[in-house]
Amino acid sequence: MSPGRRGLLERLPGRDLRQRSVRTASLASGLLLATAAPGSFAYDVTLTPASPKMIYFQVGNGLFTGGNYTPIKGNGQPTGTPGVNTTINKVTVSVAANAVGNGTAQAMTTDSSAANSYWDGYLFCNLPAELYIGGFYRTTGAGTNTATVTATLPVSLTDAAGDTIPFSQISWTTGGNGDAGAEPFPAGSFNATTLSVGSISQNHWAESCWTFSYANTVVPAAGTYTGRVTYTLSAP
Amino acid sequence: MRPLQLLAYSIIWLASLPADARTVVIDDSGTLPYHATLAMHWQELSPRSRASTLMVGTLELRVHLALAPWLHRRGHIYMVLPAQQPGAITATWTTNGRLLPGQVSTGGRALVYAGPITAPFIEDMVHLTVIVDGRRMVQSYPVNFRFEMEED
Repeated sequence: MSPGRRGLLERLPGRDLRQRSVRTASLASGLLLATAAPGSFAYDVTLTPASPKMIYFQVGNGLFTGGNYTPIKGNGQPTGTPGVNTTINKVTVSVAANAVGNGTAQAMTTDSSAANSYWDGYLFCNLPAELYIGGFYRTTGAGTNTATVTATLPVSLTDAAGDTIPFSQISWTTGGNGDAGAEPFPAGSFNATTLSVGSISQNHWAESCWTFSYANTVVPAAGTYTGRVTYTLSAP
Repeated sequence: MRPLQLLAYSIIWLASLPADARTVVIDDSGTLPYHATLAMHWQELSPRSRASTLMVGTLELRVHLALAPWLHRRGHIYMVLPAQQPGAITATWTTNGRLLPGQVSTGGRALVYAGPITAPFIEDMVHLTVIVDGRRMVQSYPVNFRFEMEED
């Protein structure tokens, strides 16, 4: 480690004194380098974001297998794994014949069984009155982007005979057990065929419970009227 | 003249010695894997927080420290995590017992051994967990760790 050190202890003649001095300076430099060059031995670990951009979204029934998203396991992975649920839930109302078109709004109910949040299993929505809508958007970076949810729908609900009820007759309020403040999926109505119905901020889980209502201000022919609303979560 | 020259070189010699000259980087080139890739996954902090920006990854290392230069002496061995990108890194680890478990953040170091050096090397399995702010993870980052010896 220090081969020149033993030489410094010896008394040397003049010429050798200059050589010893040179070795001294070199040794000082060498020693300085030995303590100031930490990079010569350093194991390294390359941190790589795995699946950095992720989205999950459900309206009504969703799917997580193996548990909820939380708690997070020791390896950093969520307990549950998001999946695809192909169920198409319904929100329905039956209006008594003597109430059709009387202007008294009719509460609608859902056949969804999603009452608990997949975030942590919390009982968030009250069935059958409330429809769960929620999900998450994750990505790296310090941006403030949002993933937006868009609803696309036909102009009207229709029956087998071709009779119609405007979709604008249906509206919703929003909330959730234990919630306070603004909802990520606010109240609204189907007053257009393409609607922005909410958003999820970057690296957030967002959820709301919708309660639908039929305005009952039109007098359609008797029948069963249906229409499909498609919700799409889009991340930048 | 000659004594003055000698004095000048002596001054240079003393001034060149850093205060922590007894802190020496340890040869850990026998550590496996030496250049590892660690997949970082999102981590949530608390129920219903609805937001978390931390990413976490775990790795097992067989740490091998060459200690022959300090054989039969006493010393303190530290794991060092120098300040580097992406910044705000926290590493925690457990071991199989030869080295101490611990935690270190960027720019710091943690004691992993104190006592006599009785063998030319120390080996131990280190179960390393790295946590980093995901907002900084815009790419992959090589993160360097090192071990240092301070003789008693």
